[in-house]
Parts: sequence; C-alpha cells; structure tokens
Amino acid sequence: MERQSNREGIKGWLNPGRYGLERVAYWLMRLTGLGLLVYFIAHVFETSSIVNGKEAWQKMLELTQTTEGHIILTIVIGMCVFHTANGIRVMLGHGGVGVGKPGRPDYPYKPASLNSRHKLCILASIGLAALAMMYGLAVLFGE
Amino acid sequence: MAWQFCLVSKMQESVIMKIHYGTALGAVVLVAIHILFRMTQNFSESLQYESVIANYHFLPYAIMLELILILLSVHGFNGLRVILLELKQGVGYEKAVNYGCIAAIAVLVAYGSRTILMAGFGM
Repeated sequence: MERQSNREGIKGWLNPGRYGLERVAYWLMRLTGLGLLVYFIAHVFETSSIVNGKEAWQKMLELTQTTEGHIILTIVIGMCVFHTANGIRVMLGHGGVGVGKPGRPDYPYKPASLNSRHKLCILASIGLAALAMMYGLAVLFGE
Repeated sequence: MAWQFCLVSKMQESVIMKIHYGTALGAVVLVAIHILFRMTQNFSESLQYESVIANYHFLPYAIMLELILILLSVHGFNGLRVILLELKQGVGYEKAVNYGCIAAIAVLVAYGSRTILMAGFGM
C-alpha cells in the first residue's frame, strides 16, 4: 500500500523541477532518447521507399523536404547532439571520472558527484545542441 | 531461439549497460561518417535517387549502414527498456518489456536490412 501511494509514475518522471540541473539533464536525456528512437524508426521506414523505384523516392522526398520537415530535422539535430554530449558525460561519470572523492556525509549532505564540473558539462551539452541546430538551420534553409 | 531469449533475460544489467555504452560509442562514430557523406555535396543533391542508390551500391558504405542499423536498434530499444523498467516493476511486466524490446529490435533490423540488401543488389 505504501509503495503504491509513493509511486508517481509518468507524472513523477516528467517533473523536471526537483533536484536541480541534474534532474533536468536526466529528463532531457530520456526525452531526446525517445525522440531519436521515433525518428530512427521513421527514417528506416522513410528510406525503405527507395526499393520501390525513383517515383516512390521522389514522393517521399516531397513529403519530407518541406519547411516542416526541415524544422523536424533541426530538432532531431539538437536532440542528437545533446544526447551524445550528455551521454558521454554520463558514461564518464559511471566510470568514476569527475565525480569527486568519496567522503564522510556531513550536513548539508551535498553529494560530491553532483558538482560544478558535471553542471558545466550539462550546460555545454545544451549549448552545443543549440549551436548544431543553428548550423543545421543554415544548411537546410540556406540552399 | 528460446535459449537465446533465456540468455538475454538472464544477462546481468551491468553487462547490458556495457553493451548500451558500446553501441552508443560505435553509433556516434558511424553516424558522424553517415552525416559527413551527406555533406560531401549539396544536401538536396545528396538526396537525389541516383546519389542514394550509388551509396547503397558502394559495399563499405552499405556495411556501415547495416552496422548503424544494428547499433542504433540495440541502443534505442535498450534505452526504451530501461525507461519502461524505471516506470514500473513486476515479473510479468519486466518479461513483457524485455521480450517486446528484443522482438522490436529483430523486426527493425530485418526491415532495414531488407532495404539495404534490395537497394544494394538492385532487386
């Protein structure tokens, strides 16, 4: 009963407001991951039209090479760059890189692993994603 | 096939996470090459039918596409599995999620491989 009442499910998972920037990164990591998986499945399906000949491929291009298609692709670029950069941070963290030395837990119980280096990496990941999106926009709409 | 499913369901989570990270690193390198191929010419030109078919006919590139397909399918659906297992737990639920994700990987890899093979061999 206690376990059931404490379980927040998707609502709790979607709440990025608690635990600071790391929680936002956790949330963004999952959200971008799901977005990229959806795009990947759609991309596999989209490219399969090539086996039906030139006409089918052109029809698919007409559907995807539009302003909306380019905006979706720009969002995908941003999601991809954030997911990659933040993923490397997470991997390094799991390997013990940049998480600090273990110490006695003293008040106010700040975990050594949630430090400025990791916060900086999260912000850098967001910045890199924004830059990549701008570059993507320039390439896709600059033609 | 049944023994393979048993093998996966009994695989330690630490081993699965190593596979998750390995597939991520592999995919980052190969996807970067895949995108750079689009940048060798004008973006819309690179999407023309003849250009894309030429990519599929180039064997090293076709092998790379197959590798990307496998790496991203495993990484993507394992990520989805992790998210779903974080949301809810239970023996039946976990089994359904594990087998569901394995089935999804198999279907996506099979469908993508069909495209690579058919476009590559001009079928």
